[in-house]
Amino acid sequence: MAIESIKYASPETESKLETKAFPRPGQHASGIVDWLTTIDHKKIGLMYGLAALFFLIVGGIEALLIRSQLWSHNMEVLTNRQYNQMFTMHGTTMVFLVIMPLSAAFFNFFMPLQIGARDVAFPRMNTLSLWCFIAGGIILNLSWFFTGGSPAIGWFGYAPLTDPRFTEVIGDMGPDFWIFSLQILGIASLLASFNFITTIINMRAPGMTMMRLPVFTWMTLVVSFLLILALPAIAIALAELMFDRSYGTNFFDFLEGGKPHLWQHLFWIFGHPEVYILILPAMGIVSEVIPVFSRKPLFGYGLVVFSGALIGFMGFAVWSHHMFTTGMGVVATSAFSILTMLIAIPTGVKIFNWIGTMWGGRIRFDTPMLFALGFITMFMIGGFTGIMHSSVPIDAQHQDTYFVVAHFHYVLIGGALFGLFCGFYFWLPKITGRMMNEKLGKFVFTLMFLGFNLTFFPMHYLGMIGQPRRTHSYNEGHGFEAWNQIATVGSFILGIGVFIGVVQFIHSFYSKKLKPAGKNPWDARSLEWTLSSPVKDYNFARTPIIKARDQAWENNHGEKDNHSEKQPLDDHGVHMPDRSWCPLVTAFGLFVMAIGLLFHQSIDASGELARDYTIAIAGGVIFVVGVIMWAIEGPRGYHLFPKENEE
Amino acid sequence: MTSHTHRSKIPQLVFSLQTLALFLLGSCSRIDHKQSALDPKGLVAQNQYDIFMLSVWITIFLFCAVGGCLLFVLWKYRAKSKEEAMEIPEQMHGSSKIETTLIIASAVILVILAVPTLQGVVLMNRVPDPNDQATLEKLKLDKSQIEDAITVNVTGKRFFWVFEYPQYGIVTANELVFPASKAVRVNLRTEDVIHSFWLPKLAGKMDLMPGQENFLWFIADEQKIRSGIDKDGNPYEVDAKTAMPSVFDGKMRQTIFAKQAFTDEFEAVGGLFYGQCAEYCGNSHAYMSFRALAQTDEDFEKWVLKFRNAQNPNLQPTAYSAENTYEEGTVVTYTDEQLGENNRREFRALKATAKGQTPVTKPDVWEKVHSDDYEKGKILFGTQGCAQCHAINKTGIGAKGPNLTLFGLRTSLAAGWMRNDEDSLDKWLRNSNEIKFGNLMWNGEGIDDRHPLRQLQDDDEKVSQLVTYLLGLK
Repeated sequence: MAIESIKYASPETESKLETKAFPRPGQHASGIVDWLTTIDHKKIGLMYGLAALFFLIVGGIEALLIRSQLWSHNMEVLTNRQYNQMFTMHGTTMVFLVIMPLSAAFFNFFMPLQIGARDVAFPRMNTLSLWCFIAGGIILNLSWFFTGGSPAIGWFGYAPLTDPRFTEVIGDMGPDFWIFSLQILGIASLLASFNFITTIINMRAPGMTMMRLPVFTWMTLVVSFLLILALPAIAIALAELMFDRSYGTNFFDFLEGGKPHLWQHLFWIFGHPEVYILILPAMGIVSEVIPVFSRKPLFGYGLVVFSGALIGFMGFAVWSHHMFTTGMGVVATSAFSILTMLIAIPTGVKIFNWIGTMWGGRIRFDTPMLFALGFITMFMIGGFTGIMHSSVPIDAQHQDTYFVVAHFHYVLIGGALFGLFCGFYFWLPKITGRMMNEKLGKFVFTLMFLGFNLTFFPMHYLGMIGQPRRTHSYNEGHGFEAWNQIATVGSFILGIGVFIGVVQFIHSFYSKKLKPAGKNPWDARSLEWTLSSPVKDYNFARTPIIKARDQAWENNHGEKDNHSEKQPLDDHGVHMPDRSWCPLVTAFGLFVMAIGLLFHQSIDASGELARDYTIAIAGGVIFVVGVIMWAIEGPRGYHLFPKENEE
Repeated sequence: MTSHTHRSKIPQLVFSLQTLALFLLGSCSRIDHKQSALDPKGLVAQNQYDIFMLSVWITIFLFCAVGGCLLFVLWKYRAKSKEEAMEIPEQMHGSSKIETTLIIASAVILVILAVPTLQGVVLMNRVPDPNDQATLEKLKLDKSQIEDAITVNVTGKRFFWVFEYPQYGIVTANELVFPASKAVRVNLRTEDVIHSFWLPKLAGKMDLMPGQENFLWFIADEQKIRSGIDKDGNPYEVDAKTAMPSVFDGKMRQTIFAKQAFTDEFEAVGGLFYGQCAEYCGNSHAYMSFRALAQTDEDFEKWVLKFRNAQNPNLQPTAYSAENTYEEGTVVTYTDEQLGENNRREFRALKATAKGQTPVTKPDVWEKVHSDDYEKGKILFGTQGCAQCHAINKTGIGAKGPNLTLFGLRTSLAAGWMRNDEDSLDKWLRNSNEIKFGNLMWNGEGIDDRHPLRQLQDDDEKVSQLVTYLLGLK
């Protein structure tokens, strides 16, 4: 039925085959309905990005509270429990609700444009991924309002601290919110990953061979594979933890033979690939930006792609370097130590190749390029301290000190966040159709770069002179005060920089004063720059036939043979799939199910534990109904007939 | 096309980072911080420090090489004008020769770090074999230093440390006393969540994993304990007794307290080490610190003897019995009406006593061992609920709170958080929640506003008696 309707539906009118139970918003839906039901990868990418920027502000405020508490010895800005909640929420928020979804935002928006596709392979699944992410974010932050407040277990949730036996607030629900939130966020990532893999493998435009893919798209592919391989490990760990907490099982409680080590292995089998999940997208963005602003193709394209894949592959072989101090014995620590050192080689290759790209180029220092260069230098420092930690005897001193805090912030802010900001400054003109103010962009970069280094460089030293991480207070006489004060001042500068940057991004969507961007303001190289800014709903009016790796560049500066061609528009035009309520309903079902499971326990009048699954089952029903309606309604859609150059 | 007038900022910014790095390295020269891994005082920590410094030099070299190369490229190939920015340079796609060379070079550099790393792993995990002369010589150790190693079983509890010496049958808390010349084997256990034993100047760290026994070892370097760098940056060296005042007779305490401020403690005594829990273990994780006190062999033995006597159940004073005669020096307990009904006081026999010569009937033969305040404090310790959690003159690690045997010899209070003197103890007993918010002595299971501990706040008399008693335990 569905396929028939695609073929014969009248292109100009909305489809009349709407099911009565689930009316579908049609072609001309607008406003809030449009945003709630959209299946357009660009709008989904935007919503991913905006939500992530919101959480960036939330997580940033948490960070600034942490820094304020550490201003001097024995401060009382936060109580110890509040502080512990802050670092738990800061970590969880920044990893799962900021860096990952910001990467997903760019994947969503640009990967289809870079491969010459009109959308991802499963547009409605993409919408479901978005709403699952939003649901996960809401559940995590709902924890503030219930018994015990937010989790105070660290973003790594080490057993047996998460066991109810060791809870410090009776009936603490924080860890439960954390568990369900991460499970649902995991579903969001899995859905997106399968979608991206299918899209990249199957929906490339003719002539877009794998070795012509832009590096950013390659990194999308690698990260998607990492996610589908890594997430099951934490899903299992979280399920076991849920059973331990709610049903008295015994996976991690040592009293009855459970093993805390099990949690650590499962968590880091996920957690280490996660590090590469966070950094590889930024590496992809930087690999796009540096060639553009050097006006040269990427040096050693094949090697950059291969090293990215190798980093992803080896990312699964080094998880235990997070556990050097847990007593694994000589052989295991040595083996993981050497493997970890090896991973420095493909990482170094990338840096060499970025410098090689600039060699002999005509380098322009626009804001995106500044962020890319900031990325290289900061990531280098983070990488070097990483090599230090790969050495077990060094790690025996560094583990769980501020040195490690400095290390991973150099990788995750100086690396991932600078890379993502680089992406914003580079690609927002394509999204909004307007150029952002260069001066303001450079000001934001300066604030962020200075603030960041001021915050995190002193932490190396703080760690060496003995400040452990995750401590809400320190005693006088250790000499920690001065360095912490520098860090706190720096963190506020960084915070202001990030905030101005976010305001600038949002502003560029509305401001009419900004210069129009045109198709290719940077004289950039990849396929998305052949399209108008902002990109039309259907992306490509006619599917391009790809002739070269840097197609936009080749079209502008290359030989005639390398210019792309276009497939003719056939007589039914561009098929646009209909919007749908089903993904939202399905995600809502999951949300209700999680809430139902969170609150299913109560103490009845006789003091007995009572379990009530009504809400959870109701959520399950909504979920199943959503999926069934989804299957029944089919893709359907309408047709557009753009003129040849309307793209 | 956008403007390119602001293009030269980036080299300056990169440079500013390097300046910052140099500034920081410069200020690291004074490394006498209490808990600093940059100031190793023992073999294992020294090895860790050496490998760390090797890695620092390697990475500084790499940073300068790669960063310098980057700066050069940015400078040389910058677009100097708008026209130049529009030029199209040669579209070069790569060079396998350069790539291969760089990959091999990186691998070689990693080998430089990998070899000492593997040696270090073995050193950390295995106490050298006392019969392996070659290794001992390389490490500059004597056979006896290893053969006479002492063992300490460390148990982590939320939020303090139990130190048990199985060779001597004694248990203490939060202050690890050890002989500077001997290897110390540390077995690490926990009774609740994961903790991590971190003693930066001696041993690095190792986690305490539930259901598993972990291990680390360290050996102090007496030479390093005796020397250091003073406030003005001049090196100094003192003798062993000055660097390691004896603990058993309270000299360590006196020396440390002679300095005006808590913050000066380290400079007074080289044999005083700070450690802390390094794995997040709950609300009061930050407060879970400890100290390690190095001693000369002789002083350590005296300390052990004193502790053993204190914790030996056969040496505790017994109740006076009219059926017995007592030798000079014997300590007995006997009811003393001054202390209230049915309360006993300790008396010491001044000379041999005959049957029936009770401390009351024969006051010239018996003397009071302790002051009235001490005895009253001791009674309060029982009646105010202190003894429910704290053991005194008993071994065993099952108690909820730290073992307080010979508490008056300790240098620190509240898991290394404060100086153990009258003032601090007074404040701590009145309202420990103000000092360590959320601590379990104030907030633990079964303690609410009706608990006698929480009534002490305004009771000057009781507090002062408890202080006298606790600090009198020596």
